[in-house]
Amino acid sequence: MTRTIPVITGLIIAAALTIIVCTFTGPAGFGFVTTAPGAADIVGGIRLPRVLAAFFVGASLAVAGAAMQALFRNPMADPYILGTSSGGALGASLAIVLLGGLFVPLFAWIGAVAAILVVWLIAGRSGVISTETLLLIGIAVSFFFSAIVSFLIAVAGQNVHQILFWLMGGFWNASMDNAVLATAILVPAGILLFLMGRDLNALSLGEETAAHLGIDATRARWTVLGGSTLLVAGAVSIAGSIGFVGLVTPHIVRMLLGPDNRVVIPAAILAGGILLVLSDTLARTFFADLPVGIITAFIGAPFFIWLIYRRGSVA
Amino acid sequence: MNGQDPVRAQDLVAGYGTGEIVKSVSCSFTKGTFTGIIGPNGSGKTTLLRAISRVIPSGGILELDGRPVSGYTPAELGAALGFVPQDEDRPFSYTVLQVVLMSRYARASRFASLSRDDYARCYHALDRTGITHLKDRSIRALSGGEWQRVLIARALAQDTPVILLDEPTSHLDLAHQAGILTLVRDLARSGRTVVGVFHDLNLALQYCDRLLMIQGGHIVADGVPGEVLTPEKVREVYGAEVITTSHPATGRTILVPLDTRNTGAGSFEKPKVLVISGGGSGGDLLRFLCRNGYAVSAGILATTDSDYAVAKALEIPCIPVLPFSQIPAHALEKLKRLAVQADRIVLSVHPVGTGNYPVLEILQGMEPGRLVIHLPDGREFSSYDFTRGKAASAYAALCTAGVSCTGTYDGILAILEGNPGTPLESSVNIP
Repeated sequence: MTRTIPVITGLIIAAALTIIVCTFTGPAGFGFVTTAPGAADIVGGIRLPRVLAAFFVGASLAVAGAAMQALFRNPMADPYILGTSSGGALGASLAIVLLGGLFVPLFAWIGAVAAILVVWLIAGRSGVISTETLLLIGIAVSFFFSAIVSFLIAVAGQNVHQILFWLMGGFWNASMDNAVLATAILVPAGILLFLMGRDLNALSLGEETAAHLGIDATRARWTVLGGSTLLVAGAVSIAGSIGFVGLVTPHIVRMLLGPDNRVVIPAAILAGGILLVLSDTLARTFFADLPVGIITAFIGAPFFIWLIYRRGSVA
Repeated sequence: MNGQDPVRAQDLVAGYGTGEIVKSVSCSFTKGTFTGIIGPNGSGKTTLLRAISRVIPSGGILELDGRPVSGYTPAELGAALGFVPQDEDRPFSYTVLQVVLMSRYARASRFASLSRDDYARCYHALDRTGITHLKDRSIRALSGGEWQRVLIARALAQDTPVILLDEPTSHLDLAHQAGILTLVRDLARSGRTVVGVFHDLNLALQYCDRLLMIQGGHIVADGVPGEVLTPEKVREVYGAEVITTSHPATGRTILVPLDTRNTGAGSFEKPKVLVISGGGSGGDLLRFLCRNGYAVSAGILATTDSDYAVAKALEIPCIPVLPFSQIPAHALEKLKRLAVQADRIVLSVHPVGTGNYPVLEILQGMEPGRLVIHLPDGREFSSYDFTRGKAASAYAALCTAGVSCTGTYDGILAILEGNPGTPLESSVNIP
């Protein structure tokens, strides 16, 4: 693909610009050089961590989404497909209801990882399993956890609002620690998934095909699932379950650059980061800090439909 | 069984969890040979292929190059054995070249790009399968046949000593079938071990060096194609009626399915019709009557007569005699018996000389109402007469005695159905 290098370069420049511009944008006004009292605190203490957290969470979700779609050979797969988001939601809801909102990120992380472990254990029991079976187990576990979350919402009383906001996802409490955590997960997991790019290509034509091509399909599958789980659990613990970025970004990237995962993985990292930073900036600047998940879907869905309409194809 | 064979299976058992589909198969595949695996639907031929390629677990002994397959790493296996599936899902729009390049993945380092050599091999494979012009096309935009050639190109570029193919030409048109199978056979000639599952028996007969026939998970025949695929074996294993003939150019066996069979033979329900013909006059008529459900028998036929070949293929009873000689008395006696047993007799007007004139004499002794004469439109009895008038007058005498005469097959059918004759004797046939 001759387009690859210019597009990736463009994405890197766009990512840098997005981070810089959005850091200097907010409801308190825009400006690169400002001497107003408190400006340094707003830019460095509030906006920068938030922009960085949004970037790395968006990148994590997008790259995990790309990996899941290839692994499950299903363009409709998203990073939450094996129950990560409902697991995270359950953990967060428990923390909100039982602990009054303490340790929400930690509980969300534990819930997300627990969901995958449950899927993994059930799947492992049945010996050799197909990706389709794994998908079905994931969906079943996901619905089960969601049912418990719904129950908690029903009995939560005055905490309902907090749970609902968490479910929609956002960066209200983003700190520099969050940004560092997201980066610490994204860098190794992103590199891992990039190195698995060819395996993902082969797996996206089927596990048997991958095996016939000399790829350790089982090991590749679990490696990709493990890396993706860490990424998604980290993202969920920082920002709740933000939808759409993980589903749509890989599609946008594939439309631009083709489906080769050695290209899609790095491009999805950049594009996912950019999309979520822009959405979050819009949310906090113009929409009174609405949950960013609303913005990503509200703007992302029409944009996606426009793309499909223009290209006449999805994959 | 040869210790040098690249692929060796002993007591191989394989299935899909619920039950064994391949049951204790022992076989080995020789270098430089193109072996075809054949068998009816559900016989386990694809399962056997997949068990050999290790994508489904199996029991028993399976060796590649004298080493148990279980000891191979996935990458080693990928370098030793290539597999061409019948079809493959195409959920993403990879280009043809990207898919073919996947054959080189297992040999490439994760940390490096694919090498110039990898690309060269893939371009060569695209060239050999005739799809170079499609290399930048999205695989989702390909026809089934083009996609199948991409899968074959990928296995070629994988460059393995053993190649397994699962119905590699099922989506290809005639020209591409021949092209791809010639290519595959050449791969075997160049020293590879090639094993293909075939649904189309004639393709297997034309291209394979050896056939392995599977039924119910067991090998039921193994050997030279023409010796494995006999009509008897095909009837036994496939439950299909075929006749064999040979390819005019290669001399290899060809199977031809039989839709017209003498199914009525020996049955009480269907009228028994005896067809008296000769010199190729009755072949079409025999097929026509069989197709219409009559229990057909034929009269005296020289073994060189094409009517005889038809009767034999359709399993129509007849009285074979040597050509160019006087009809022996016992044959005439047999004909009399057949004529008496038949409900109706159709006389297909044919050349009569002194040798076969006695047949007309026998017919003159039959009840005229049971006889039908078929004289093709526009022909005259005299043109069939090689007895200086004797035969022509015998034919004419039959007509004047009240035998129905028609020029078309439909006319014969109308007469046979309109006026069921009364047999002289009740049938003595045993069903």
